[in-house]
Amino acid sequence: MLSKRAKTNLQAYMFVGPLLAVYTIFMVYPFFKNFWISFHEWNLLEVAFNPDAKEFIGIKNYLRTAWGRQLVWELGALWKIQLLAFIGLLISGWGYLRRWWGIRVLIIGVLFSITLFILLGFQPSEHGRWFDKRFWIAVRNTLVFVLGSVPPIMLIGLLLAVLINYPNRVMGAFRTLFYLSSVLSVTVITLIWKFMFSPFQGLPANVMKVLGREPIVWTVNPDLAMPSIIIATVWWVIGFPMIVLLAGLQDIPVEQYEAARIDGANAFALFSYITLPGLRRPLIFVLLYEVISQFQIFGQAHLLTAGGPGDATNTMVRYIYNTGFRDNEIGRAGAMAVFLFVFMGIFSFVYLQISSRKQID
Amino acid sequence: MLFTTVGNKTGYYISIIFLCVLVFLWLLPIIFMVSLSLQPNELLVVSTAKLAFGLLPSPVTIKNYMRLLGIDQTPRWFLNSAIVSVVSTACVLFLSSAAGYAFAKIEFSGKKLVYAFILAGLMIPREGVFISLYTLFSDLKLHNTYFSLIIPNLAVPLGTILMTQFLLGVPKEFEEAAQIDGANRWYIFSKIMIPIARPALSTLAIITFLATWNSYLWPLVTTQETNMFTITVGLASSQQGYFEEALGSIMAQGVIASFPVVLLFLIFQKNLVKGIVVQSK
Repeated sequence: MLSKRAKTNLQAYMFVGPLLAVYTIFMVYPFFKNFWISFHEWNLLEVAFNPDAKEFIGIKNYLRTAWGRQLVWELGALWKIQLLAFIGLLISGWGYLRRWWGIRVLIIGVLFSITLFILLGFQPSEHGRWFDKRFWIAVRNTLVFVLGSVPPIMLIGLLLAVLINYPNRVMGAFRTLFYLSSVLSVTVITLIWKFMFSPFQGLPANVMKVLGREPIVWTVNPDLAMPSIIIATVWWVIGFPMIVLLAGLQDIPVEQYEAARIDGANAFALFSYITLPGLRRPLIFVLLYEVISQFQIFGQAHLLTAGGPGDATNTMVRYIYNTGFRDNEIGRAGAMAVFLFVFMGIFSFVYLQISSRKQID
Repeated sequence: MLFTTVGNKTGYYISIIFLCVLVFLWLLPIIFMVSLSLQPNELLVVSTAKLAFGLLPSPVTIKNYMRLLGIDQTPRWFLNSAIVSVVSTACVLFLSSAAGYAFAKIEFSGKKLVYAFILAGLMIPREGVFISLYTLFSDLKLHNTYFSLIIPNLAVPLGTILMTQFLLGVPKEFEEAAQIDGANRWYIFSKIMIPIARPALSTLAIITFLATWNSYLWPLVTTQETNMFTITVGLASSQQGYFEEALGSIMAQGVIASFPVVLLFLIFQKNLVKGIVVQSK
């Protein structure tokens, strides 16, 4: 006979068990197996025919991915970005003093900034080179994409939220229409924008022709390839930040606006002294959420520009995909995925820290 | 609210008109797609700008759609997507609500630890584990099956977290009354908690369905046989070749691929909005 306690435990695990099993086998196990793969010379096709064709090579894949020959450390070509690390340091300290966040965020911010400063100093000397220059190009492209897409996403999302914030049906209708693009799949939006950007068949091109101008060549132009991906992405994902910020706006008590208006505040003052401070939490949430999701960009770069022209829009996930499934080198691809884990882990950790969930007891 | 500070009706109507123009511009790419899908391929090769820069179809034809339903593989891909999305959604609802019920309502050993273990999954980037997931399904010899398309969709922590959070807010009295009547846990879960949780379940359902229908990277990796493609992968494979000559057909394919999600969104948009807001709190 089981004790009451044991019986309760058994019952509870029968409810949790199915999810726990699926989650462990198909999420946690692959996560750790990825590290194991990354320590091997592992060709997908060879291992498929002969499971013993893989060879343990330690951290060699990591060196091949991120290291180079005759690297030196100096304040060099990237000094401007290195200076950004100091700004990160200042912001984390300032926010801590102003009590925007606690000691944990301060420590993460400081460690992150210092690591960034040190890592960016490494570069090949005169006779040296990176082992895999394309990896660093992919990292740069991913960061450029995130830095280029997240600010417009937040700004336009905020603008739309403020514009449609009416307490009636009108808001619901506009919310639905602006969210519509977000329910489409990535392959549909790349299909649409491939043709929007086409200099022969696209909509802007049709307008340009009528105006007697030369149509702009978008996706095959090295300077405009990344902007075209950013435009398509901003258009695609704008619904999410709009809804979050709209909900945030509606949480701000109307009385605050009324009181300020009696004191003679104009629209600009209302926005900067009531609306923006009131939106602090939703804005931080949207920022982290968008950084995390845009970092994993794959479909747009794969289908709209195929990573090109050259490597101009090759992003991290696309490079991992190509290394693993076109070149069949999944050991090396696994090592690259670990770098992705590290980048993403930092942001996801902060994201988890700031979310205010009910605690289970 | 901000612009109603003008305080009069005129300001209100001006902003509504401004918003209408903005929405129209925002939806232009979608209008363009639908318009192109209704025009014959042969004409689109020559020009896409017959009427109103191509925003209005001229001449109108439904040949593109008929052809997709006839000789093309599109109906098969559509069916695959439907099977995968419906089954995934049903399974996610069951797994998440069962686990959420245990986390929210049962005192058991190791609860905090197990919950933290599942929360930690939020830190794993989904686009980062597809290599090892691929080798796992290779070992199981399960690529190109519905199983491989469905199972990874179930291994996500979000649903469990949403359900746990929702059920934590359900007052204790509901189950205490049933417990006094001698009801067992399965009865409490299926007959009391599930009906109460219906709003949260619809929210989770629409989020899961949209995510599954639209997922691209994993179906791309796990399906090599074209008859196991989902509609997203099929559409991607159609647009990677040279297809300027079949513009109308491929746009029709895009419209068909979007139809179910747009329809479900229009029906369940309130639930979706609620789900997004809950995530942001």
